[in-house]
Amino acid sequence: MDKKTVTTISYLSRLKIDDEKEEKIINDLGNIIEFVDQLNDVDTSEIDPLANPLEKTAKTRKDIVTAKNLKKKLLEVAPSANEDYFLVPRVVE
Amino acid sequence: MTIKYKSIKEIKNMISHKEISNKEVIQEVFSLINQFQDLNAFITLNEENSIKKAEELDNNPSDLPLAGIPIAQKDLFCTEGLRTTCGSNILNNFIPPYSATVIENLENAGCISVGKTNMDEFAMGSSNETSFFGNVINPWGKDLVPGGSSGGAASAVAAGLVPAATGTDTGGSIRQPASLCGITGIKPTYGRVSRWGMIAFASSLDQAGPMARTAEDCAFMLNEMCSHDEKDTTSLDNDIPDFEENLNSSLKGKKIGIVSDLDLSSLNNDVVEIYQNSLKEFESMGAELVDISLPHLSLSVPTYYVVAPAECSSNLSRFDGVKFGMRSEDVKDLEELYIKTRSEGFGNEVKRRILIGSYVLSAGYYDAYYKKAQQVRRLIKNDFDNAFKKIDVIMTPTTRGPAFKIGSKGDDPIQMYLEDLFTISANLAGLPAMSLPNGNIENKPIGLQIIGNFLDESTILNFAHMFQNETNWHMYTPEGIKQ
Repeated sequence: MDKKTVTTISYLSRLKIDDEKEEKIINDLGNIIEFVDQLNDVDTSEIDPLANPLEKTAKTRKDIVTAKNLKKKLLEVAPSANEDYFLVPRVVE
Repeated sequence: MTIKYKSIKEIKNMISHKEISNKEVIQEVFSLINQFQDLNAFITLNEENSIKKAEELDNNPSDLPLAGIPIAQKDLFCTEGLRTTCGSNILNNFIPPYSATVIENLENAGCISVGKTNMDEFAMGSSNETSFFGNVINPWGKDLVPGGSSGGAASAVAAGLVPAATGTDTGGSIRQPASLCGITGIKPTYGRVSRWGMIAFASSLDQAGPMARTAEDCAFMLNEMCSHDEKDTTSLDNDIPDFEENLNSSLKGKKIGIVSDLDLSSLNNDVVEIYQNSLKEFESMGAELVDISLPHLSLSVPTYYVVAPAECSSNLSRFDGVKFGMRSEDVKDLEELYIKTRSEGFGNEVKRRILIGSYVLSAGYYDAYYKKAQQVRRLIKNDFDNAFKKIDVIMTPTTRGPAFKIGSKGDDPIQMYLEDLFTISANLAGLPAMSLPNGNIENKPIGLQIIGNFLDESTILNFAHMFQNETNWHMYTPEGIKQ
């Protein structure tokens, strides 16, 4: 774990790391990765990954709209919106 | 006439025998919350609506199972019209337009949601020290953590402010605070309780459950919390038993798995002695102890600290300052809006886990970490599957020791992660597990963990209830024993 890696993953995470906290974060992340590296001591060559304890694919339901007419209710909790859309800073010049 | 430290059934009886009105119950709850506000157990109170609902019940008495029962809801469940923060600055102003299925189920059963309890930010923590809204205090000592992440819930029940609370458990967040605060709590089988409207942390691990003073009250709550829910695609449609039915079944001949790979030497001596005394208690009720092996158990914490951050980094990408929650000011473009909002909105532990998640999922590291952890996760689950062929339940201490002092784990994340050493494996395997008080160390409570087989909450509730019939650890309160 080094400064370059932390810069990359913090950008992937859309997080900005303050300069004064950077050293501690590099150190903490390095320790955590070192801690989880003990998983490499186990032979898992024949083992299928387990993503979910139920091992079922997510159930589908009929494609019928059940939650209707929520636009106003949902736009009301947005930080910025007009009658139809969420508003964000200009994207296209 | 007080409801403090009364069980759900006792409060129901007091109401139905007109010893106390619904309004008086709720008024007492808010007077207790006010009296104990230094605990910082609640983030948001729902006083006006609660009193109104109680008055309606006084005018039109109801025979619903939880009619008039005051319940504290963890601030991770969306509650329509009532602020829901998940312990985070980024949701500081969020008033959900809908309620979680668990909240709907409990309110449809008549309960009164008196407020939203404090918690570690996004449920990431084991001491309630990561909450944006400040530490919760353990009622057993003003310098002690209540555990986490459901620390506010545990503190509120332990202080007698409410008879029961909801919690959620991703790696021990119901059981560890239950142990540290001297109360009883159960994490059901993954899929038993709908996750719809629960703010997601790690979707393959998260599960909601009740926290109360007794196994009986937990069974009572669980009966109302469980449902098959089309809105949660991992919600199970298996039959839901009456969890109270089996509480008094005899334990004669039942088999308790004792994990031979567990290294108890690293634990506080008193924890080991208390654990062994509890096992003797179960033997005297006719249960048998059987040695079992869970050879990959020691890998559950590192497995969890790949799987949970990976899922969290994905789940928490929805907090972007666009659709709900806080938005940072003075940004020049959309990307800066995302970055500034997330950087100001999330606390240190949440950021740390998002970064770890992004790292283990990133190109070049996915197989080495994420896939590897999922493979070890299967080995852990296989260990449990093998063990449950010959036993009914597994017992371990819930925690390595009693409540620790606020700030004492310093700033070393791994020391805090090891708090959940005994609890995490049940989440990885999706199994039901509970914690109940089984002793005190220097006037601080400690808990016993009972892990059950898939969908077998009834058996662990049965063991817990029989233990509580024979012992009175669950009756101890910070003020002395309450029978």
